Amino acid sequence: MSTTRRRVVATAAVTLTGALLLASCGSSDSGSPDGKTLKLWHYEGPDSAMGVAWNEAIKEFEKTHPGVKVKFEEKGFEQNQKTAPMVLNSNDAPDLMEYNKGNATAGLLSKQGLLTDLTAEATKRGWDKKLSAGVRTTSQYDTNGVMGSGKWYGVPNYAEYTMVFYNKDLFKKYGIAQPTTLDQLTAAMDTFVSKGITPLADAGAEYVAQQYLYQLALSRADRSWVDKYELYKGKTDFHDAAWTYAATTFADWVKKGYISKKSTSLKAEDAGVSFIQGKSPILFSGSWWYGRFQTENKFDWGTFLWPGSDLTLGSGGNLWVVPKGARNKDLAYDFIDITMSRKIQNLLGNKGGVPVGADTAAITDPKAKTLIADFNTLSGRDGLAFYPDWPVAGFYDVLVSETQKLITGSEKPDAYLSALQTAYDKGAPKT
Amino acid sequence: MTATAERGGEVVRRHHSRTGHPRRPHSSYALFLLPGALAFLTVIVVPFLMNTGVSFTDWQGVGSPKWSGLANYRELMGDSEFWASFRHSLFMVVAMAAVPTVLGLVLAAALFDFVGKHFGTRIAAVLRACFYLPQVLPVAVAGIVWSWILAPDNGSLNALLRAVGLGSLQQDWLGDPDIALYSVMGVMVWVQLGFPLVVFMAGLQRVDPQLYEAAELDGAGWWRRFGHITLPQIRPEIYVVLLWCTIAALKVFGAVYVLTKGGPGGATDVPSYFSFTTFFEKTQVGYGAAISTVLTVIILGLALVGLKLQTRAEDAEEGLRA
Repeated sequence: MSTTRRRVVATAAVTLTGALLLASCGSSDSGSPDGKTLKLWHYEGPDSAMGVAWNEAIKEFEKTHPGVKVKFEEKGFEQNQKTAPMVLNSNDAPDLMEYNKGNATAGLLSKQGLLTDLTAEATKRGWDKKLSAGVRTTSQYDTNGVMGSGKWYGVPNYAEYTMVFYNKDLFKKYGIAQPTTLDQLTAAMDTFVSKGITPLADAGAEYVAQQYLYQLALSRADRSWVDKYELYKGKTDFHDAAWTYAATTFADWVKKGYISKKSTSLKAEDAGVSFIQGKSPILFSGSWWYGRFQTENKFDWGTFLWPGSDLTLGSGGNLWVVPKGARNKDLAYDFIDITMSRKIQNLLGNKGGVPVGADTAAITDPKAKTLIADFNTLSGRDGLAFYPDWPVAGFYDVLVSETQKLITGSEKPDAYLSALQTAYDKGAPKT
Repeated sequence: MTATAERGGEVVRRHHSRTGHPRRPHSSYALFLLPGALAFLTVIVVPFLMNTGVSFTDWQGVGSPKWSGLANYRELMGDSEFWASFRHSLFMVVAMAAVPTVLGLVLAAALFDFVGKHFGTRIAAVLRACFYLPQVLPVAVAGIVWSWILAPDNGSLNALLRAVGLGSLQQDWLGDPDIALYSVMGVMVWVQLGFPLVVFMAGLQRVDPQLYEAAELDGAGWWRRFGHITLPQIRPEIYVVLLWCTIAALKVFGAVYVLTKGGPGGATDVPSYFSFTTFFEKTQVGYGAAISTVLTVIILGLALVGLKLQTRAEDAEEGLRA
């Protein structure tokens, strides 16, 4: 091979390699606003209440915006959760995306300047009037990324809350009435245990176990306790009466057989399936199960709020956020507006979701009516107390890991609470 | 494998010096190496250096990183969770390197020497493929299937124990902190076994059959032939397998993620999963980067020591032959 020819080959090889490497770095379709495409990401399953409602909203949007195409990409919850900061920092950011609410998620992104301030739009389009105080909390974040006050960085179109799902057929079979007090609930669980049935569906490897625990704490707490814990308005003491009651009662319930020791490695799906299969007569969890239970439960079932507690876990749903680098922000605002419309909200309600602006007369399904009525009761008494893993990034894993130890009995309630205190103090902003 | 390549390289070098054009072929080869070298630089070296840089900062993954010097490394040294995860890694080395190597050796020799001879090579090949199957399965699929098998109430392992009258042996395989790590180890042995088996069977094919025949004529039994012929003959393969599997064990992630998510109560946490949660759950990107940097250095160190030992052993062997 001659020197010249070798050089030509070498140059071609280098150029080709460089091109391949650049291509492998990923292309972006960045550009200026075109007003013709709305790039939308969300992670609701197509059969869920929200998925059905948002799909209808897309149709409505395309009808009211002739010539504009919605470029929808279905993402996973984890995918959005873990890659959002990187995506939002790039040219690939969508115009509108669904994102998880709370200090460690939307709050963190807002603090880093990655989200658009929606305050003006929220006022202009009346979103602020449609959302109750409890639901609105997760929309606003201060300069430190702490929710509850400051600018609007997200808009939830639905709400969620936890409740006791119970198998009416099994309750009837063993002659148990729907409990209205905690004593009655405890007595019902005793009856099931005596019949060899573990009453509470649980999942120690995911959120279900920590929701039982937090609910027990909430039953001895008030709004200022929640504000201290979730909004850092004061010192949180994990050895106070509420947390101590929660940890000791939970450990006691494991001992009494209300919660299975074998639930340590189970996932939320296992707990849900256990209820669907009629193996566990009670599941305490969120409204996100509602639509699925409506479809899959082969028995008569009902719901009630946790007895003897004004507060329960719940909040506005996940947020619509507009990335700072979004190119078609006006289209994104229009889409949010459509999801807030009566038509879409009513559809959401009838599909087993908890709408934030539905016409109650338009909700025809009796179970959906109960779901929404219970939410209104909660909302009316300012009863949404958010979720236990929100205050500190990474606290979810700590709660999972420590609660597993409480279930197996390898850790006593006092040590459990100390471990939570250490992790919380390490992660919470210094006030 | 490496030894053969090196020996081949030696032959090429000698040949070139005789032709009097030692440089020309080398520069031609360099051209072919260029794409790979550039890709290596882009996807390995640069990210590693960036990761190392991030490990000296306090950063949440967005916004500006704050220089924190060696703070992350100091914290790491006293982090009991990290050291616990590292101890679990050593258990994984047993499950993914030591046990599969030993079992793989015995099984490969048995398939090659016994099954192949008495039932035909086709049967031996089918059995080899069966053992290798878990290596082909995506770890997420294998993990989900195993989590069904090991489920406490409806799992097939417990059901099987009940069915054969061994109900007292039923366990919460993945939920009991005293057992979970051993359960994950068991699954990893199953996953890993096929790799050494296939490598060893390939290695056995290059052993001169006359050695076995001579030993057999001299009255050597199967175990003696295994110890005195099989083992020494496939030593290079054993080195490669041990090194490869140890590295795989140190960076194991997928199985832990799918089976236990490091639980219960951190009983099965490993450094790569610990790094992942620190990065993405706790958004302590600087600290997560420090964990992965330490892990990379350890793996790199082990790989270099392993390669050195292998080369030394081969050199000694060459010396003996010479």
